[in-house]
Amino acid sequence: MTLTDGNISTMIHALVDGELDAATAHDVEARLAADPALAAQRDSLIALRAAMKRVPKQVPSDAFLKKMANLQPAEDNIVRPQFGKPARQVSRSYGWQSLAASVVVTAFLASGATRILMMNTAPDSFVAAITDDHRRSLLAGSPFDIASSDRHTVKPWLDAKLGLSPPAPDLAAQGFALAGGRVEIIAGKPLPALVYRHHEHLISVVAEPMNGGSAREPIDIAAGGFNMVRWSDTGFNYYAISDTEWADLNSFVTLFRDAAAPK
Amino acid sequence: MLALSHGGVLNDRLPADRFNEIVLPFLGDALSLARWLTGNATDAEDVVQEACINALRGIGGYAGGSARAWLLTIVRNTSYRWLERNRPKRVQTVGDLVDLEEATEGATSDAIAAPDAELMARASTAMLEAAIATLPEPFRETLVLRDINELSYREIAEVLNLPAGTVMSRLSRARGLLKTALEKLS
Repeated sequence: MTLTDGNISTMIHALVDGELDAATAHDVEARLAADPALAAQRDSLIALRAAMKRVPKQVPSDAFLKKMANLQPAEDNIVRPQFGKPARQVSRSYGWQSLAASVVVTAFLASGATRILMMNTAPDSFVAAITDDHRRSLLAGSPFDIASSDRHTVKPWLDAKLGLSPPAPDLAAQGFALAGGRVEIIAGKPLPALVYRHHEHLISVVAEPMNGGSAREPIDIAAGGFNMVRWSDTGFNYYAISDTEWADLNSFVTLFRDAAAPK
Repeated sequence: MLALSHGGVLNDRLPADRFNEIVLPFLGDALSLARWLTGNATDAEDVVQEACINALRGIGGYAGGSARAWLLTIVRNTSYRWLERNRPKRVQTVGDLVDLEEATEGATSDAIAAPDAELMARASTAMLEAAIATLPEPFRETLVLRDINELSYREIAEVLNLPAGTVMSRLSRARGLLKTALEKLS
């Protein structure tokens, strides 16, 4: 899909749908920036997508689910494992004892004790995994899964993929343009990553959701040839990594924290 | 197939196991598509039940890839066969479709150009549902697969058996038509 004079309208749909590669998205956004009528088309489409999300989806009733699960021939029932069966049916067979036990486990997991354990052990492997992902993203054809300088495109995309999205301030005026977002798998968990461009350098910002926890000031970390800054703010532990200079990375972090802080 | 002899396995798995993994998780998607193709939730259950029987029968033919797209292809085909049998007046022929694409070509480019994000924000769910229902089938199914089932363009192309370019132009026209319908309703 390349941008031509005739297909700009279709390309705006593809942009809003997150279907464009980085280079094409960049071209389309350049056209939008220069033409308010095209930008209005995009805004109208984003609003339409948001409206369509309000249309209720059909949810199978318990009776219908059961009926479909029982379409299968009788001889299969003998060996059919529980795998893939609706969680609702499985959980019903658990007694109150196991329910109570799971409450205890959850309470422990949510308590400060594991938090401290994780804080002491997680960072090293976390740092290594983030470094690897950043390096891989630089080698890949596109450093992002969704290419867009529009935070109103990037945030909903991450939200749709992960059910959460970190603040994605646009810092283009200060020299750090939002370039896109991607999903990283770190320690088995899918996490949102934002990609910023500073001159010819890319900065990946990985945001790990935290339960509670307080703000922590940035710490510089040398990470396998890259520079990394780690900090925590409302709701997320952040890791910013780049091959840019320390001074630039630190001023980026200051700008990001400032712009992302609740007003 | 269903008629496996004792201990017979297909791809090392019983069809029932594969059915549990490939079909059951996407029943909501199947019902949503069928609801918008048939027009109501009751008919949708009939269609999806028939589609599930077809899916179970053809499960050996699932060769990986998007399970959701695979199931929705079956749901769509089953829907149209079901409509032909039960609602013969509603089914559109291919000739109608070609005319339709031509007839709507000019109108929608204007409609999309009119910026009205506010109209969308105001639209109630009932208005949206009424507007979707007015769309001709080819546009309605494309819109529903994208904006309700949230399929990628590639998956939609697979379900509709169309080139990606046609999916894109149909989607942009569908959204233009939806907007026009909303304007009329508001």
